[in-house]
Amino acid sequence: MLDFIKKIYTRDESSSRNQANNRLRVVLSHDRLNLTPETLNSLKEDIIVVIANHLDIDGSPEVRLITEGRNTALDISIPVKGR
Amino acid sequence: MDKKNSECHVIVVTSGKGGVGKTTTVANVSTSLAKMGYRVAVMDLDIGLKKLDLILGLENRVIYDIVQVIEGECTLKQALVRDKRFPELHMLPAAQTRNKDEITPEQVKDLCSQMRPDFDFVLIDCPAGIEQGFRNAIAAADQALVVTNPEVSAVRDADRIIGMLESAGFQDIKLIVNRIRPDMVRHGDMLSIEDLIEHLCIDLLGVVPEDRNVVVSTNRGEPIILNDRSSAALAFNNIARRIIGEEVEFPTFQDDSFWDRLRGLGRNLFSGR
Ligand SMILES: Nc1ncnc2c1ncn2[C@@H]1O[C@H](COP(=O)(O)OP(=O)(O)OP(=O)(O)O)[C@@H](O)[C@H]1O
Ligand SMILES: [Mg+2]
Repeated sequence: MLDFIKKIYTRDESSSRNQANNRLRVVLSHDRLNLTPETLNSLKEDIIVVIANHLDIDGSPEVRLITEGRNTALDISIPVKGR
Repeated sequence: MDKKNSECHVIVVTSGKGGVGKTTTVANVSTSLAKMGYRVAVMDLDIGLKKLDLILGLENRVIYDIVQVIEGECTLKQALVRDKRFPELHMLPAAQTRNKDEITPEQVKDLCSQMRPDFDFVLIDCPAGIEQGFRNAIAAADQALVVTNPEVSAVRDADRIIGMLESAGFQDIKLIVNRIRPDMVRHGDMLSIEDLIEHLCIDLLGVVPEDRNVVVSTNRGEPIILNDRSSAALAFNNIARRIIGEEVEFPTFQDDSFWDRLRGLGRNLFSGR
């Protein structure tokens, strides 16, 4: 998984080929889960609310789908404030 | 593969998106198999929008069509058009003035079981889309070939089709990438073969480059595989050889090779001045 993420970030992001790859990753994972961007957004908001009930959120949380092969994972990254 | 005693393989060629090269693939791969001596039938299920007869150059020889066979107006044998250039190649024409929902998956299965004893391969030309025509085309097939182009819209549709084939119980699904332009891939302006396999996660059966000769042979109604100077012809022949179980190396259309990266680096350095 780590390799896979590294691979995404080390490609020349601006080429149209890489834009196509990035867009396809998002679209295919949504298609396969039958998930609309709105549903993902409201999921994101719900998750943030739950976390905020217990911890102080610091900065901008990220919730997104990442795909490897035909498998998809929900990637949640929420920075929290320590004392 | 033993030509005489092996069982018949029914292969559907499908894509979701229209115009990606299904009919061209069916025409050339089947001709290539017939040229090797296999008994081949092609079944055109693009009812209402038939093109296979034209691409094969058999349009003047068509008398009956598949719907007439199903409705009992003629026999299967009467409807099959035999290609004089390749005596092992037979075509079951689509009907042009009928609709895709006038036949059912069961009827297609029935026809295929009538054909199995007489042929080594039956290739089915599937219409674009995911509706009745698609369901008819996949009903009798043992294997599926998904054709795509290195473009986001075609890849998205291919992914949908692969999902539907998997739900329908297909275990043998392979990918054909058509119209690749290695120069564009090298310049970062086209999805590469590796990219497509990473997205679609199925085995690759063939890579067919963009080739002007495809248009020329379509104009003439001659299979491109007869042109030994065409890169697409080589690719279609290689696909046919892989279908019969030969190990055929993929020519290196690769994009990420060391030398290409080095060249790319040089280009960037110079263009930066
Ligand atoms: N490798 C290639 N190089 C150049 N042109 C090609 C290539 N493959 C296909 N074409 C051209 O693309 C067009 C569409 O091809 P084809 O009819 O085989 O697609 P299709 O998927 O069967 O379309 P439909 O969904 O309408 O049935 C044709 O004009 C054909 O000549
Ligand atoms: Mg077609």
